[in-house]
Amino acid sequence: MPVALITGSSRGLGRELALELAGRGWSLVLDARGCEALSATEADLRGRLGRGAQLVAVAGDVTDGAHRQALVAAAERMGGLDLLVNNASTLGATPLPPLERYPLEVLREALEVNLIAPLAMAQAALPLLRRSPDPRIVNISSDASVEAYEGWGGYGASKAALDQLGKVLHVEEPAIRVWSIDPGDMQTQMHQDAFPGEDISDRPLPAFSARLIAGFLESDSRSGRYRVDDLALAR
Amino acid sequence: MTTTALQRPRRVNASLRFELPPALEASSPPEARGLTRDAVRMMVARRHDSSLVHGTFSEFPQYLEEGDLVVVNTSGTLAAELAVEDRDGRFLVVHLSTQLPADLWTVELRQGTAPYFGAQAGDRFALGAGGTLALLAPYAQHPEGVRLWVAALSLPGPLFAYLSAHGRPIRYGYVHGEWPIAMYQNVYATEPGSAEMPSAGRPFTPEILTRLVARGVGVAPVLLHTGVASLEAAEVPYPEYFRVSAQSAHKINDTRRDGGRVIAIGTTVVRALETVVDERGGLSPGRGWTDTVITPDRTVRSVDGLLTGWHEPEASHLAMLEAIAGPALVERSYAAAVAEQYLWHEFGDVHLVLP
Repeated sequence: MPVALITGSSRGLGRELALELAGRGWSLVLDARGCEALSATEADLRGRLGRGAQLVAVAGDVTDGAHRQALVAAAERMGGLDLLVNNASTLGATPLPPLERYPLEVLREALEVNLIAPLAMAQAALPLLRRSPDPRIVNISSDASVEAYEGWGGYGASKAALDQLGKVLHVEEPAIRVWSIDPGDMQTQMHQDAFPGEDISDRPLPAFSARLIAGFLESDSRSGRYRVDDLALAR
Repeated sequence: MTTTALQRPRRVNASLRFELPPALEASSPPEARGLTRDAVRMMVARRHDSSLVHGTFSEFPQYLEEGDLVVVNTSGTLAAELAVEDRDGRFLVVHLSTQLPADLWTVELRQGTAPYFGAQAGDRFALGAGGTLALLAPYAQHPEGVRLWVAALSLPGPLFAYLSAHGRPIRYGYVHGEWPIAMYQNVYATEPGSAEMPSAGRPFTPEILTRLVARGVGVAPVLLHTGVASLEAAEVPYPEYFRVSAQSAHKINDTRRDGGRVIAIGTTVVRALETVVDERGGLSPGRGWTDTVITPDRTVRSVDGLLTGWHEPEASHLAMLEAIAGPALVERSYAAAVAEQYLWHEFGDVHLVLP
């Protein structure tokens, strides 16, 4: 029974990914800050677990070391860890400001959540991942990490740096497959926050990206950076 | 014995059975484990969707909303253990359990970490500094003898001063080392009188209370002086002294009327409130002795949620928990608490049950 740890899994892509993996028989460790939303996700998932699969939801902040240890400890009690999904992210300053007046304190906080915390999660998870027969790390990225969009400098820089961390981590830990996945635009709270007041209902539902990602990470695809549109082809 | 305080209620069973591994008994305060009081773990169980979420108590204010009300037991903990020597020179301790009128107490005699059944009515014990304790009559029986006695306590000075000088906090075998009485006080304790700490409130800090108030969450005090908790499986709690003020009763009624939730901090709060609740959930002020025992066949009307510690197998607290959360959610919570290695007892982790 493979075990996945997904950060930021109470809503949006993280929640859909958890639902998708539950349907495929995975045991899951969930993480989120939001109290109500995490409870609701836990209740939804419980009914969809495969036979013998386990589920533990741990509320907390990924920038808190004690919380990260609690997440890894929960996975260890399930028997180990096969997949870490670094999904929890923050947009940083909203509405998205130009770099000229990007508040530096907010950028520091965004880097803490989007860059430092994923590395810290990987560091905490490495001892368990190395014991897995097929260890995998997914860092959820963004097209803003490679394209230059006005206002997306802070978020994009954090995701570009995360992509690079993943590339180097795979070189240093060749037994672990490390992917950066750009899930594309989705109808999520984060996307709505990036475009306040706009109608985003033309964007795909996160469940669509989650299904492609789940199928992809069960395939034998090599480490690297992928766009969600390429995932079906890459398998 | 004919007074209400001395009636012996029936036995009660919770449906839950489980094994408590010794490693899950908190043997020292969190402060001695390098944690702040509010850093203990908290499992959040919700009745409406049966969800379980693990976290830490420092997040407690986030689970409450403006208009909710937290009800705390402001009873402080006594240094209720005194060393005594019997007529054969045997070293025993006495645990003062509950103060009755006229300097009478219910007391438990213990030797080492076990109850002591060798005493008889009429026995007198010398306490330190000229105090004496005389056993008058059995209060609670046990297959091996008398478990609790009604005793007359005679002290050379005021009770609290005497206990401060000569008493120690009641301690059971799972606690390693002696800890100062301050470790056994809730931050909001105002009136000493409990034999044992009402420990669900232990993780509260001044900062947590400030965050609650700033969120618009109310705090209402009630009082219930706890007796000794050394009961064995299926023994029913003894009568205890309680007080619910008119102001707190009104606050609770107003909260419910306005759609807020009433969250009890500890089973002692539930016991006090259920003593003064009417059939429609309305509270009246009250004080005196309560022999209310909350079992799953009773509808709990006074509270919507409960913060509590982790209780021993077959403890009467589990029966109350089943009445509030339902047996299935309690069973899942306890299975998860054992699997996730939560810590039990007064220095351990907590369990928040929400609607």
